[in-house]
Amino acid sequence: MNDYQYDNGTVKGFIVSSIFWGVVGIIVGLWISIQMWSPAWNIPPYFTFGRLRVVHTNGLALGLGVGAIFGICYYITMRLTKRPLLFPRLARFHLYLFNAAITLAALSLFAGMNQSLEYAELEWPLDIGVVVLWVIFAVNIFGTIIKRKEEQMYISLWFILATVVTVAVLYIVNNLAVPASLFKSYSIFAGVNSANVQWWYGHNAVGFIFTTPILAMFYYFLPKSTGLPIYSHRLSIVAFWSLVFAYLWTGAHHLVYTPLPDWIQTLGIAFTIFLIAPSWGSVVNGFYTVGADWSQMRNNYLTKFFILGITFYGLQTIQGPTQGLRIVSQLIHYTDWVPGHVHMGTMGWVTMTVAASIYYIIPKIYNTEIHSVKVANAHFYLVLTGQLIFSITMWFTGIQQGALWKATNPDGTLKYTFMEGLIKNYPFWQMRTVGGLIFTVGMLFFIYNIYMTVRKGKALAASSI
Amino acid sequence: MINDTDNLEAFEAKETVNKLPVSWLILFWGLILWGIYYFVSYTPSISGWSQEKAYEESIRK
Ligand code: HEM
Ligand SMILES: [Fe+2]
Repeated sequence: MNDYQYDNGTVKGFIVSSIFWGVVGIIVGLWISIQMWSPAWNIPPYFTFGRLRVVHTNGLALGLGVGAIFGICYYITMRLTKRPLLFPRLARFHLYLFNAAITLAALSLFAGMNQSLEYAELEWPLDIGVVVLWVIFAVNIFGTIIKRKEEQMYISLWFILATVVTVAVLYIVNNLAVPASLFKSYSIFAGVNSANVQWWYGHNAVGFIFTTPILAMFYYFLPKSTGLPIYSHRLSIVAFWSLVFAYLWTGAHHLVYTPLPDWIQTLGIAFTIFLIAPSWGSVVNGFYTVGADWSQMRNNYLTKFFILGITFYGLQTIQGPTQGLRIVSQLIHYTDWVPGHVHMGTMGWVTMTVAASIYYIIPKIYNTEIHSVKVANAHFYLVLTGQLIFSITMWFTGIQQGALWKATNPDGTLKYTFMEGLIKNYPFWQMRTVGGLIFTVGMLFFIYNIYMTVRKGKALAASSI
Repeated sequence: MINDTDNLEAFEAKETVNKLPVSWLILFWGLILWGIYYFVSYTPSISGWSQEKAYEESIRK
């Protein structure tokens, strides 16, 4: 076996692992969606909403998201640098360590260990594990790029580099803590400072986990799977630098109308609105690229995934900045509108793009064709429907919630009790579970399709020896 | 070794490789100008506006 085969093994390993953690995270997601309208589904102490919610978010962001990012970034980097990874054995170790870390992370969250910082829940020993994982990734990516055989660096490599550098800084800073025991630590930040650092971190987790690596995939796999060249290289570069610059200033839009000083909120909001432009640079570039041949939307199943994915990214990057405005935040903040926003991004943009990238990679490394385009199309329409039901129900109920909470009598007392507002959510929360189920069935189609493709590829390889 | 590396030329459209669409440039610079306006208008030490004052005003009505 040569190096080339070996590196593909690691890519495959990450893809399979990310699908595995994706299944865990999605099942837990369905479960907590039911708990919202049927409390009997809470089974104390391990399977209550409080424990399961963090298993859901970490399972999908770290397990499915970061797992796929590791594997697919390795895949892209090798091909764009025209060489194998600099440290293939280290990459294999990276894969094992990744699965060990996610397993321990899930167990620790079930056990209730939690730093109480959103998306930074893991306690300090696991934080050290995450940092080691990331350093291994960084060493391999930087090393391979420095020793590249192709002088020019395609835009995807820039997005990957930004991911590697920024996530490292974010993760270390927001997790700085003084350990009290093996399983408990205290953050070095307190009060308003803690909130400010937390949302600088939280917002940029979205920027550098759910945006930059996914754009790296988009810029790489869109031309690969359509045969259409990217419309403008300059537009992609300008959008890249303005995106990474602007993202880091905007975290305060999560803290509108809080004790955070007014000027920090205002500065954050100004950058937040500006962020529409760099985000839409990539959206426009994607549309113009496929604009050279729209018939691809009908004839090439992968084009649909990428174009719908970038469309949801485009909607997300208009909705998100709008939410940052004071007038909008005061209505929708703390309501179910926000999970509506989140899942248009995670289900519509991230999962759609990652799934399409995997559809491209798996047949390529097994030297075969996808098992069934029909199944892929069914997958597409199911996840699209599920995600739309999810987002739209949450937008409705979120606005309703906000309006009920804010309604006051002439004497200034609240018009509605908390219970009156809560009960109105039930039909929407139930519909959300239906949307989630449809999405899950779509993902099962995806997994089945990938599984059958791998089987076909293995059979082909065996018969050709 | 690697047999499916990429030809970078296939990634870039020759005629439009350096284009920045005018509508996008307008958006880009327009939002920068808007950001400056917004920062000046809603920063207490510059314009005198503050969340506290805006709130007081809103309940006086
Ligand atoms: C220009 C881009 C974006 C901006 C400016 C933006 C803005 C915002 C704002 C203001 C909130 C807070 C809403 C509230 O609590 O009142 C929010 C929440 C969130 N957004 Fe976005 N968004 C953007 C794109 C995205 C994308 C692409 C994703 C991908 C999944 C995403 C995922 C999230 C998540 C996970 C939260 C929830 C944070 C929490 O736990 O409270 N956003 N976004
Ligand atoms: Fe944000």
